[in-house]
Amino acid sequence: MKKIIELRDVSKAFDGETVLDHIDLDIYDNEFLTLLGPSGCGKTTTLRLIGGFETPDSGDVLFLGARINDTPPHKRSVNTVFQRYALFPHLNVFDNVAFPLREQRLPKTEIEEKVREMLALVKLTGFERRNVARLSGGQQQRVAIARALISRPRVLLLDEPLGALDLKLRKDMQQELKNIQKATGITFVFVTHDQEEALSTSDTIVVMAEGRIQQIGTPIDIYNEPENAFVADFIGESNIVDGVMRADYRVTFSGHTFACVDKGFQKNEPVDVVVRPEDVDIVPLERGMLRGVVTSVTFMGVHYEIIVDINGFKWMIQTTDFVDVDEEIGLYLEPDAIHIMKKSEYSGMFGDYSSFSMELDELSDAESEADE
Amino acid sequence: MKMKPAAKVYTALIFLFLFAPIAILLVFSFNGAKSLSVFSTVSLKWYRELFRDAETLNALKNTLILAVCASVLSTGMGTAAAVGINKLRKRYLRAALDTVTNIPMMNPDIITGISLMLMFVFVGQLFGMATSLSFWTMLIAHITFCLPYVILQVLPKLKQMDPSLPEAAMDLGCTPLRAFFRVEVPEILPGVITGLLMAFTLSLDDFVISYFTQGNGFQTLPIRIYNMTKKTVTPKMYALATLIFFAILALLLLTNLVDEDDSRRIRAARDARRGRRSHAHRPGSRRPLRIAVSLLVVAALAIGAIGFYGQRAQPLVLNVYNWGEYVSDGSDDSLDTIQAFEAWYKETYGVPVKVNYDTYASNEDMYAKLKSGAVSYDVVVPSDYMIARMASEDMLLPLNFDNIPNYRYIADSFKGLYYDAENRYTVPYTYGIVGVIYDANQVDEADADGWELLWNEAYAGRILQFNNSRDAMGTALYRARLDVNSTDRAVWDEALAALVAQHGLVKSYVMDEIFNMMESGEAAVAAYYAGDYFTMLDAEADSVDLRFYYPEPTNYFVDAMCIPAGCQNQELAEIFINYMLSEEPAIANAEYVYYASPNRLVYENEDYVNDMGEEAMKILYPNIEQFAELYNQYAYRNLDQETLDYVNSLWETLKIN
Repeated sequence: MKKIIELRDVSKAFDGETVLDHIDLDIYDNEFLTLLGPSGCGKTTTLRLIGGFETPDSGDVLFLGARINDTPPHKRSVNTVFQRYALFPHLNVFDNVAFPLREQRLPKTEIEEKVREMLALVKLTGFERRNVARLSGGQQQRVAIARALISRPRVLLLDEPLGALDLKLRKDMQQELKNIQKATGITFVFVTHDQEEALSTSDTIVVMAEGRIQQIGTPIDIYNEPENAFVADFIGESNIVDGVMRADYRVTFSGHTFACVDKGFQKNEPVDVVVRPEDVDIVPLERGMLRGVVTSVTFMGVHYEIIVDINGFKWMIQTTDFVDVDEEIGLYLEPDAIHIMKKSEYSGMFGDYSSFSMELDELSDAESEADE
Repeated sequence: MKMKPAAKVYTALIFLFLFAPIAILLVFSFNGAKSLSVFSTVSLKWYRELFRDAETLNALKNTLILAVCASVLSTGMGTAAAVGINKLRKRYLRAALDTVTNIPMMNPDIITGISLMLMFVFVGQLFGMATSLSFWTMLIAHITFCLPYVILQVLPKLKQMDPSLPEAAMDLGCTPLRAFFRVEVPEILPGVITGLLMAFTLSLDDFVISYFTQGNGFQTLPIRIYNMTKKTVTPKMYALATLIFFAILALLLLTNLVDEDDSRRIRAARDARRGRRSHAHRPGSRRPLRIAVSLLVVAALAIGAIGFYGQRAQPLVLNVYNWGEYVSDGSDDSLDTIQAFEAWYKETYGVPVKVNYDTYASNEDMYAKLKSGAVSYDVVVPSDYMIARMASEDMLLPLNFDNIPNYRYIADSFKGLYYDAENRYTVPYTYGIVGVIYDANQVDEADADGWELLWNEAYAGRILQFNNSRDAMGTALYRARLDVNSTDRAVWDEALAALVAQHGLVKSYVMDEIFNMMESGEAAVAAYYAGDYFTMLDAEADSVDLRFYYPEPTNYFVDAMCIPAGCQNQELAEIFINYMLSEEPAIANAEYVYYASPNRLVYENEDYVNDMGEEAMKILYPNIEQFAELYNQYAYRNLDQETLDYVNSLWETLKIN
């Protein structure tokens, strides 16, 4: 596959505060790539570097192999869908979408033809004369996409474009974006802090934190083989405990030695062990590899989410079996339910559900959204 | 919202308070008579007069040119500045710049005016220019004080704007400059237009800053009106003020329309974001407004362009600096002597000449302007004591009387007067004598004699006294037959004692208000100049019968034409002076200003004598043969600083009590 955009050892600081810390990234033609991370991780800055709205302090941005550090935005074959759409309020839907074509001074008939096609693609036929301020959020979103796509850029950048939409609309738009990407064959670089959105739409996910890339991979890789505690925690729910590699395929944690599928560690190397909540089986006490006391049970619809105290460490387990609070249960782990990671700076910071509260989690999500 | 009766009354009072002056102005601009106190008939007389007054129309044109240039330039510069300030990333830097741009706005005008004048004069002298103040300095000054208002209007619009709008435009193929014009300008346009209109009105009615930075031959309307105070402000100014008021009102309504439309648009956008339908907004409603605004801007620019065309420098320029209302200006079918001079000069010498005619309100104003070195004039018309002062400070040039043959028509009594004993610097223009004016319907004829009338207890509460130290003290000194130029403190103490004794009888201490108070019969007795008596007579109410007599001794003044040092074309100035002495213009001026003329061509002219009438001639021209003797004995002279300070301190004690 052809590399369309490359970031080579790119750093960027604002007011002495490092936002990007020696980033290397390849973006391939025709892929749907998502930059995923919490607010302040540098994902939007990465997008703006590609769009040409920022220049790197050091390192290079390459477009089809050519350095474009100092190329202004209007000379890049890269267009952006902005977070709040940035539709031009003084122009109607047609004029907004026709804007880039008029800048290229195309003939009038050609402009009309192309705009009609594009509005059909984003399902806005009949809205040509509407004032953009009178459209709903989803419609404004489509206008922004149509406007960014109409001059057929090589790359489309999308800066949290679904953030302002409600859940149902967001799901529809995710699918629609995916379809548009397939239909047009344009490379999409998508920024979000919503891991579910990233998993369901992307070909490639780039997980970022604190100005550095934590992991690049397909959604399945990222979910199943997280590189470190940060990624494991950020993508889905994870129980992360300290463990020791006894040998290839053998790991000890929580006072028990398990069979696992990982190898290649030093003997007795301390590691982080990840166990996804849905990979834990509840079994009768005598069959359990681990035992614990249930401290809380929450009904989630498809499953229960229970918190189990195992030797003072709180695990989250998702199960369809009903258990009672204060009940002592046995837990069973298949070898492929256990994922071993090397120790990192994030070790010990995540994966304990001692202070877990759904409400708090939602609150902090809302805050990080508001920050951006 | 329902209002309680008390609140209604209060609101009504507030509006009355705000608009009563304008209502009165409006009513009196349609007054057929000249008086402010009497409304005779509804008439458009003053509007007709206004449109015949070339000097006022010229000042109006100047004001408009200046306002258009200043507002357009300051809007351009201010918008650019706002864009720059808004782009600053460092918050403290932006706050600092915000504050700095606000300083000229918070600064009192007078400080801005003085500091600008100082700067212009300093820079001008650095480059050795004869006149540092000009149209251009005034324009710079106006731009200076308009700029912060423009920035203040534009900056909030920029802050309201989604910062990704210009980025989106660049992203879609615009260069940064094009993005600015295609996307940012439409967004901030309401602010820019409001700023433009605000700058326009500010520039239009600025007096203080203009006053300090005004240059030769470019007088704005507010300055012209201010300078009319030597004579009274003529009612055609009411007409002009009324017209300006309605013009400004129209601009204001337009501004509000722009704002209203803009806020409606913002509301609609916000409602849409919240998923509500906005009913207030009709798409396309902006179009007529935009057209109106564009038309206005085009019209303004056209006026500016025409003005500039007319403003182009002509080869020969004569700068004249005279009292306001002190030359015949063509109203009431009189001769416009300035225009007549220009025509006569072109006919006689075959080259055009342009007279820049500026006015001042007092000797001290004129002196300060000349002394500052910021302007240079070719002809000025100071009063006697000021001539003595200027001559002693080498501010006047000796005249070449070969170029002023008409000087021979000046009566001998007006030559060799103390301020120019050797007849080197001056050609007398007008003279006047202070007399007592009284209303015969209130005052007994038998009492009308000498200065005693002003101290007559029978007219307590109906006597007017001068509101300046020299003239008020003068009445007391003449009454006691003491020397009005004494350096003896005891003499001045005695004058003060007399004024204190008179204090209980005095209705008020006045200068220009005397006209209305005497015309309406509100006051019965006052001392003033003979020429002004006739102005009052013209406008007296039906119930009033004003009479005039000279007490003995009394005060005399002479205003004379001089050429100040720094004159750019002395020969032309002398030709002008000579022309003003010739029969036709001299008579026109004398009839217009109502003061007596020392020119034999005037007071011996049959038509003039008939026009004025026997009575007026007797009052205006008493005993011309003895003038020099009486004048040299009784006229005010320059007092030394110590005496002047003492007199002023005495005057203060009177005013405080």
